[in-house]
Amino acid sequence: MILVMVRVMALGLWRDRAGLVLVFVLPPLVFIVFASVFSAGASGRLDIRAGVVDQADSVDSRRLVSSLQRGLNGRLIRLPDVAALEDAIESGEMDAGLVLRGDLANSPTPVTVLIHPGRQAAGEVLTAQVNGAAGRDLPDLMLRREVARLDPILALTPDQVRRANGAPFGIASLPPFAAQRILPGGDPLVIYYAGAVSILFLMFTAMQGAMSLIDERRAGLWLRLGLSAGGVAPLLGGRMLWLIALGVIQALVLFLVAAVVYDVPLLTNFAAWSATAVCAAAASAGIALALSAACQTREQAQPISTFTFLILAAIGGSMAPRFLMPGALRKLGWLTPHTWVIEAYQTVLWRGLVNTTVFEAWTVLASFAVAGFLAALWIEGQRRL
Amino acid sequence: MAVEHTEAVLRLAKATRRYGNRAALDQVDLELEEGEVYALIGRNGAGKSTLAKAAIGALALDEGSVRVLGADPSRDRYVRREIGVAPQEIALYLHLTVAENLGVFAALAGVPRAERIGAVARAMEETVCAERAGERLDHLSSGWRRRANLAAAIVHRPRLLVLDEPTEGLDTETWLILRRLIDRLRADRTAILLISHNAEDVTVLADRLGVMEAGRLMIEGRPAELMARAFGGRTELVVRLSAAAPSVEPILAARGLAPSDQGLCWSGTVADALAQAREIEMALRSVDVELRELAVHPPGLDALIGWATGSIAA
Repeated sequence: MILVMVRVMALGLWRDRAGLVLVFVLPPLVFIVFASVFSAGASGRLDIRAGVVDQADSVDSRRLVSSLQRGLNGRLIRLPDVAALEDAIESGEMDAGLVLRGDLANSPTPVTVLIHPGRQAAGEVLTAQVNGAAGRDLPDLMLRREVARLDPILALTPDQVRRANGAPFGIASLPPFAAQRILPGGDPLVIYYAGAVSILFLMFTAMQGAMSLIDERRAGLWLRLGLSAGGVAPLLGGRMLWLIALGVIQALVLFLVAAVVYDVPLLTNFAAWSATAVCAAAASAGIALALSAACQTREQAQPISTFTFLILAAIGGSMAPRFLMPGALRKLGWLTPHTWVIEAYQTVLWRGLVNTTVFEAWTVLASFAVAGFLAALWIEGQRRL
Repeated sequence: MAVEHTEAVLRLAKATRRYGNRAALDQVDLELEEGEVYALIGRNGAGKSTLAKAAIGALALDEGSVRVLGADPSRDRYVRREIGVAPQEIALYLHLTVAENLGVFAALAGVPRAERIGAVARAMEETVCAERAGERLDHLSSGWRRRANLAAAIVHRPRLLVLDEPTEGLDTETWLILRRLIDRLRADRTAILLISHNAEDVTVLADRLGVMEAGRLMIEGRPAELMARAFGGRTELVVRLSAAAPSVEPILAARGLAPSDQGLCWSGTVADALAQAREIEMALRSVDVELRELAVHPPGLDALIGWATGSIAA
């Protein structure tokens, strides 16, 4: 009987082409958008668009602009004057701006970075790009600026100045620190969003499937199904099994996209990934079945489930990364399946571990599944009699 | 647990179900035997569908009991296999084909895998829907869907069949298919409970009928016996007027006729209807009221419902 119900539901999805697209295409697309935005930030690749007004129009300023063009991959646009640059920043056409004035070697502040108050980070990135370009491609300019700065103090002779300016460029000292990466390689935020988007869509997909309970009730089908030899349990069990299978396939498609596009190491810990996917799908199915059983109509179930799932997603970290949340919200997140799913996937795929956190996550998710299924069973049993 | 064999396939004893202060079923006693077709008729909201749900164990009773083949269908999963139901709505999966639907319900009813194909083919043949076996329900017209709905109710050869409003929206061809099917099932000793608010349609199919009103089974028996009990040798007299007029009331009410259709139609069962009709025609002429129709015919089942529920005096 369970397999009969699985087949009924599978044929329902197979013959609904729009449903197939929503289930298997939409989640990877949303994941790619989230991953592109957040992983770029995490890896230091913030693709900003900047404008430049070169009032100096000197050899040095042209060299600096050319170096910046390379650093920003061509996203540095020349503008005729400062007013045009300010307009472009205000309208959002540019993220930040650069004005080059006077002699770059001798003027005290020849470079001005224009920053929009809503896009501080873009200004910081552009400032860092200018420093990087100057240090990397214009060390002679930096040396000339140093010589010009020291000249009044040390009272250099013209000959000393000439020799200092002609010295080899590599005299700049190394920074007094070294950058060292801790924790494993790879992009944790890509894995984070693969898990976050996966559980978000699992919930909605499970709800769409579970709401067939309501349709059956309305169409009188439930009356006929209620006469089946096994009663309500196998009918709900078949539905649960189908929703778990569908959820795992949906998660697999999404993580395969993540593996292909972002090199997420899906296969390195595939067994643990599979267990996490099954638990996540089961939790979603249990919750969706309980909600569908409790609601009388689709009109009731649709807004209630949407509200519930969006709140769970927001608190659980499916929308914004949990490390950006206040402490209280982060703690609250542990009450949602989303946080456990995200944590389990990150531990399994990024850290490459199957530790206590993962076991706890599996236990919590399985508990959601069992509780939801039992609640649905009880509600439908009550309704039938 | 083996299904107990008793003479009554369905037995309701003092079946009562209340919703707040309202009794949807009120002390209903009903027995249905093998091969018997029982038509349960009554107005909308009389409690017929509630009784049907109780009969198949889908509704908990506040008092009384339901037994199908001697067992409680709400608790005994074996006896549930012996029940078939065709709800008023098309209770099938619209995304599946006719054959797929029947296969699903045969499996759910416990038909062994090896027998399923044969069971599906037989059900389609009996409801004359085999030619659409491979078509999805959502691609079929309502007539074909009704046939498939019927087929799903009989695919597992139930011993008790409950048909809720089976004639609703049927075309003539499907009505004849239903009639032939019921005759065949009766011959196979299947007990059939027909539920309808359209008394004329189902009573022709029934061996016995019961009239429900306000959750109670007001009267039951063989149709001819009930008609005789209710009306004796009396005949139904229907008077239709061109316009309602206060002056007609003393003439028509005095003869036991009751008004409807805003006073344009008066009807009732009377003795010596032809003589009464002549008198009424003359009396109406004397008060200058134009007569559109004056009909005399044997009382119908709607009149019987009216009589059983007390809204029409015999």
